[in-house]
Amino acid sequence: MNRRAFLMTAASVVVMAAVRPLPALAADKLTVLLDWYVNPDHAPLVIAKEGGYFAREGLDVDLVVSSDASAPSKLVAAGQADVAITYKPDLMLQFAAGLPLVRFGTLVETPLNCLIVLKDGSVKSLADLKGKTIGYSVAGFQDAYLSAILKSTGLTAADVKTVNLNYNLIPPLLAGQVDAIMDGYRNVELIQLGLQGHPAVAYYPEENGVPVYDELIYVTRSALRDDPRLKRFVSAIEDATIFLTNHPDEALAMFLKAHPDLDDAINRAQFAATLPRFAKRPEALDRGRYERFAGFLKDNGLIAAVPALDSYAEEPK
Amino acid sequence: MIALRALAVAAGLVILWQGIVFVFMPPPYMLPSPLLVLQALRENPDLWRVHAVTTLSETVIGLVSGTVIGAALALVMSFLPPTRRLLLPVLVVSQAIPVFAIAPLLALWFGFGLASKIVMATIAIFFPVTSAFADGLARTDAGLLDLARLYRARRWQVVTVLRIPGAFPDFITGLRLAAVYAPVGALIGEWVGSSSGLGYAMLFANSRSETAVVFAALILIVAMSVLLRAAVDLVTANLTPWKPETR
Repeated sequence: MNRRAFLMTAASVVVMAAVRPLPALAADKLTVLLDWYVNPDHAPLVIAKEGGYFAREGLDVDLVVSSDASAPSKLVAAGQADVAITYKPDLMLQFAAGLPLVRFGTLVETPLNCLIVLKDGSVKSLADLKGKTIGYSVAGFQDAYLSAILKSTGLTAADVKTVNLNYNLIPPLLAGQVDAIMDGYRNVELIQLGLQGHPAVAYYPEENGVPVYDELIYVTRSALRDDPRLKRFVSAIEDATIFLTNHPDEALAMFLKAHPDLDDAINRAQFAATLPRFAKRPEALDRGRYERFAGFLKDNGLIAAVPALDSYAEEPK
Repeated sequence: MIALRALAVAAGLVILWQGIVFVFMPPPYMLPSPLLVLQALRENPDLWRVHAVTTLSETVIGLVSGTVIGAALALVMSFLPPTRRLLLPVLVVSQAIPVFAIAPLLALWFGFGLASKIVMATIAIFFPVTSAFADGLARTDAGLLDLARLYRARRWQVVTVLRIPGAFPDFITGLRLAAVYAPVGALIGEWVGSSSGLGYAMLFANSRSETAVVFAALILIVAMSVLLRAAVDLVTANLTPWKPETR
């Protein structure tokens, strides 16, 4: 291509880009990275999308699944997406590691994480954990979490052996390779075990020394904290959550229609078990709860100092 | 000499890395500077020693068992031809199954201790050893075999004096490949369930966004692979005096 032809081509590209019609009334795009594969935890998002709540707020929301629960918030911090669903403890650790993340909404407002043992297994009470092997998958928080639970029964972290199972929790528990699992959810793994013929028992961290926290939250990166799309996003989530609460059967049908691969007894039971845990005020930030939890992490040496709350959490403006 | 060259290459890479960090200034959770990684390595030497020893023992035991099994299979297939027809398809199929996909199952069968990692390292490496060694065994110099026949050598003499030593160069090629693949097998094992090891340290640091620690573990893994490969070169250097490396 000679110089003249090159200039002509370059010029026509510029002109074409300039005259390309802009989508005048198109909805604003928003990319949301889910913490995991789609599951009943994500019902408010799926309903907000399928029920037109996002559209009503002028949002075109793209829900993207993940297979590494620690990746979405990093991707958002790196500018690869707008919103991530992550976990309260992870937000604190990642913020301390320098990731510019801000919480702006709540998806699930109770802990979901719990310590699960098989009903007919060797652990009949927390005290029986002495000398046992405990599998976990979300590295980092398990030290503090386990210490608190063990302390409530007079044991220490040195009394148990831990194994990182990297999201493969249930088979090792059933095979007897581990005696208990952490990082399984009361509304997911606990229900699945029961329905698959392995009745299980859960010990809830917030009843055994861990301050109560919001398990699933929405985060964005600091640069976007004043982005007006966030407020509209959380508004749509709020409406969808109210719909879920008032019309659970219709919501379930909508959820399963969007994800027919999840239409089985386990997912239906998990959906019902998750309903009471969705934040009815997804925008509201419980400052006291956040401060208590940050203090707990600091006391356990997971973060060096308690950061100013406004630096990592806000209510959308 | 080789060590010097390796050092020069490593130094060049570190300078390039520091240059990228200097110019683009990525946040440390995306790309930490070499200095931060060095700091991560120096912060907790005892812990790193534990992790490195775990992974090194998994790798070395896996390498030895994979080599022994690999060599034995090659010998069996070479000298009992009917077994070749039986074993070869099985071996090829076994290599078509990604270790990563069956790793969670292997952990269930062999537990979360040393055994499952050794099995995975063994599976990762025995095939290159078997196939290289078997090729070598099948390609003994025809002239030498004629000579052996003239001297009325016995079958076992042909095997021990001609066929096996003649296959050494190919065996060494397989072994060199194995030395590089063995740590990967051990790491996959640590990835699906472990309490210590360099793979465990990476997994742990990754979920805590401690990217410098991830890099530190990575560097130790690379150093281990390079050392292992160098050890294989050293051990096998004088094994084939009649077939020296030419330049």
